[in-house]
Amino acid sequence: MKRWIAILAAIAIAAVLPLLLSPTGYWIRVLTFTLLFAAMAQVWNIIGGLANQTSLGHAAFFGIGAYTSTILVLKFGISPWIGMFAGGFLGGIAALIIAVPTMRLQGHYFALATLAFGEVMRVIANVWTSLTGGPVGLSVPFVPPSIAAYSFKQLLPHAYIALIALIIVTFIFEAIRRSAMGYRLRAIKENPAAAEVIGIDTTKVKLQTAVISGVLMAMLGTLYAQVAVFFDPDTVFSAASISIRVALIAILGGVGTAIGPILGALFIIPVEELMNDLFSSGAAGLSQLIFGVILIAVILWRPRGFITVFDSLMARFSNKARS
Amino acid sequence: MNASQPLLEIKGLNAGYGEIEVLHGIDLQMFEGEFVCIIGANTAGKSTILRAISRLVPHVTGTLRFAGNDLSSRASHDIPMLGIAHVPEGRHVFTDMMVEENLMLGAFTARHAKDLSLRMEGIFELFPRLRERRGQLAGTLSGGEQQMVAVGRALMLQPKLLLLDEPSHGLAPKVVEEMHDAFTKIHSRGTSILLVEQNVGLALDVATRGYVLESGRIALQGTSAELNENPAVRAAYLGI
Repeated sequence: MKRWIAILAAIAIAAVLPLLLSPTGYWIRVLTFTLLFAAMAQVWNIIGGLANQTSLGHAAFFGIGAYTSTILVLKFGISPWIGMFAGGFLGGIAALIIAVPTMRLQGHYFALATLAFGEVMRVIANVWTSLTGGPVGLSVPFVPPSIAAYSFKQLLPHAYIALIALIIVTFIFEAIRRSAMGYRLRAIKENPAAAEVIGIDTTKVKLQTAVISGVLMAMLGTLYAQVAVFFDPDTVFSAASISIRVALIAILGGVGTAIGPILGALFIIPVEELMNDLFSSGAAGLSQLIFGVILIAVILWRPRGFITVFDSLMARFSNKARS
Repeated sequence: MNASQPLLEIKGLNAGYGEIEVLHGIDLQMFEGEFVCIIGANTAGKSTILRAISRLVPHVTGTLRFAGNDLSSRASHDIPMLGIAHVPEGRHVFTDMMVEENLMLGAFTARHAKDLSLRMEGIFELFPRLRERRGQLAGTLSGGEQQMVAVGRALMLQPKLLLLDEPSHGLAPKVVEEMHDAFTKIHSRGTSILLVEQNVGLALDVATRGYVLESGRIALQGTSAELNENPAVRAAYLGI
């Protein structure tokens, strides 16, 4: 009961927050991307946290989603809402193709294999000029603003769509975690041999999580394309700014927990923006350097993520409420 | 399946890991309702027989049949579906999960929640201590209690055949006795048991028939009484 009140309160705050920011300003953009990256990290968390497979290739699915819906608008005038599901479908197929050979790999080997796959997709998008426009990139065409066409004059509706997406993927994550599948994943994570002996098809369960994660990541790619309006292969298929960043957000926040990726995104995206804002006029790369130092400090301070700070705060709060 | 057909039939089984062959031409038969033990020294290959049945050994040749099914074409996660439950050596409980959750994971063949709680009730009757500890994390239990969880989890499947790999290893003598009492009860409820055990005296005490394994070959077989009387067994394993 108390838990639900806390969840509803958090959603209410998140729903009001965009209204307080200037609708044409810079911070609403930061907020939109924070929510979007929180959702992406949550989707990554399904495979990275629940199945314990550290993917460094999620940009592959993200880029597939962004390209699919945008190409469908450009070539056939199909609404991005429909394109989003088409992208999700292709993202799921891509996840299956990559997962079948790599899922038996564990730890670093899996991470490296997925990293390579993300890079392969980036190269393909750069070369396949007739379909993707190549390195020049794609612009989402301007159509008269309407909900059906997924086109808005301001960023405010995008912020709300990102918020709704975050809520949906968080519920999906939590539903999987508590389901029979979630138990199977926990069993595999803890003791793969014992899991097989009690009849869990470890490969199949991992494949299922990979496909769910791939589908959702591709759908979020459409959301990104609609906000960014312009993108090229090096942005949506980027290893550093998509794949690794998404994993970093989940790990820094608290991997395997529903709140972790949200805490991670609330920290990383605004701080990164702030560093760019404060230090970009100085030496080139200075802001990235300072950002990196902050990340290292945070990981040394809380190796298991921000979730541990959050938990101790919650514990203190509920103790006070009781006394 | 007619009564004269064995429940488990192993013929000419060779098995090993990579280049190393551990088992050479094992023949072993078990009928429904039997309690059979495999005894022998460390590294004789006892566990490998159980692991071959559960399809956990990479290189296997020979015949492996269970209740009319050819096991050699099955994946390891299919084996429980056929009615074989394996309690691996070293317990392997899910330490980060509650006792109840551990048991529930073993029961994927249960169709209804009612069926599930009925099965769990059966486990708690067998191991009353698990009832007290049902909400505790399995990792916080003693070694003996963890072994009870591992056996209980296997029984949640309601198997036809229970494979027990060194269940008394590393346990206090009193707990070992408790464990073996439980096995006798499980057997009397109608489950066939194949027990691998280093403690030869205890194994021959609970099982009705046994195989003696030496360097990957069956050296001797017979009823427990026969093996107990056998001078070679007495000298080598019972220290008499």
